[in-house]
Amino acid sequence: MIEMVRELMDLLGIDRGRLELQWVSSAEGARFAEIVTSFTHRIMELGKSSLGVAA
Amino acid sequence: MNIGESINLYKTYYCLDCGVCTGSCPVSRVLPTFSPRLIVEKALLQMGDELLSDRDLWSCLTCGRCYQRCPTKIDFPEFMRNLREEAIKRGLAPALAHHGMLQSVMEFQAEGVRQKKTDWAREAGKIADRGEVFYFVGCMPYFDVIFRDIGVDSLSIGRSVIKILNAAGVTPVVSDQEACCGHDMLWNGNPETFKKLAAKNIELIRGSGAKKVVFSCPEGYYTFQHHYPQYFGELGFEVVHFFDYVQQMIADGALKLSDGAGTYTFHDPCRLGRMAKIYDSPRAILGSLAGEGFREMERNRENAVCCGTTGWANCSSGSKQIQAERIREARATGARTLVTACPKCRIHLSCALTSMEEMDLEVKDLTTLISESMR
Repeated sequence: MIEMVRELMDLLGIDRGRLELQWVSSAEGARFAEIVTSFTHRIMELGKSSLGVAA
Repeated sequence: MNIGESINLYKTYYCLDCGVCTGSCPVSRVLPTFSPRLIVEKALLQMGDELLSDRDLWSCLTCGRCYQRCPTKIDFPEFMRNLREEAIKRGLAPALAHHGMLQSVMEFQAEGVRQKKTDWAREAGKIADRGEVFYFVGCMPYFDVIFRDIGVDSLSIGRSVIKILNAAGVTPVVSDQEACCGHDMLWNGNPETFKKLAAKNIELIRGSGAKKVVFSCPEGYYTFQHHYPQYFGELGFEVVHFFDYVQQMIADGALKLSDGAGTYTFHDPCRLGRMAKIYDSPRAILGSLAGEGFREMERNRENAVCCGTTGWANCSSGSKQIQAERIREARATGARTLVTACPKCRIHLSCALTSMEEMDLEVKDLTTLISESMR
């Protein structure tokens, strides 16, 4: 399913890196923080998406 | 538009209470609580609030079989569309099929994105950025991804169109920035998103220099032909269905089809048949490529039945029943190939066929069949 959504994002011209799916148990606080932090960094690097600005 | 205004616009007060609509309705056959006649009556009896909150508001396939037969010509599908607009304003919504994925794509397009969805077209043949003929592909690139799991390669239709146009010496414009025609948004009761999508498409086509826009999708064709002028006036370009175009190419000698072996029957899509009144060109094409191998189903042309769902909403067990019945009807003609002419009909009938293993039947789009029969 996630790969299908990524393919749809390719067609829409939205960077596929903007989507991430990870399963984290409630006992894994540190891992949760790590994933969210690295995803936030990735989005910052990608910058503004074309959504709403393109024709 | 409130219910009172919808009643006046579509003159539902002319209802004779004859029940031909409900008797003709494919949904009423499988969902006995659904009745177009009752909906019209309730609206007239000022039971509008009850109507708008009833799930049945979204069960209508808007296939137009009732309208076709109504003795007082009440346009029930358009009346339903208006009621849906009112329901959406009140915060009610249909149950979207496929997790609302397709509606999300449409909303993205309406907001504006830089789409990249024409790689397949470049691989299929010659396309251009500007030119006389614009090929409006529609949502097939997205369907191709979403419905791959049921074995439907939606883009084979688009590839065939390009191949056929190229063979006739036409290099069509195919654009990354084409948006959904807005058909589904309109019938889902969301005219605001429809208008955004339509405005983008009109601007894009005008900017391409095209004088003629060719459609292989009947929904796109009908929406451009019927609803765009209602909202936007004169478009400034000609709207042509691919089958009419092909028929002309055959008549001009620009395209030659071989007599194929095989047995075929044809499923009229609601938008192509009852709504756009295109019954003859697909049959003429089938006649020229299949000859005696073409067989009509019992319910054909004006009497054809819907493929079971519309606007990517409310796919139910009722939809499946309608589809399974249609497939059995197709097979009963003796045909081995059920020819469709709408990417959605093809998806829906193929989906139903996956759970009918005993059925020796293939579902194929007419466009693909034409490209295979080219000589």
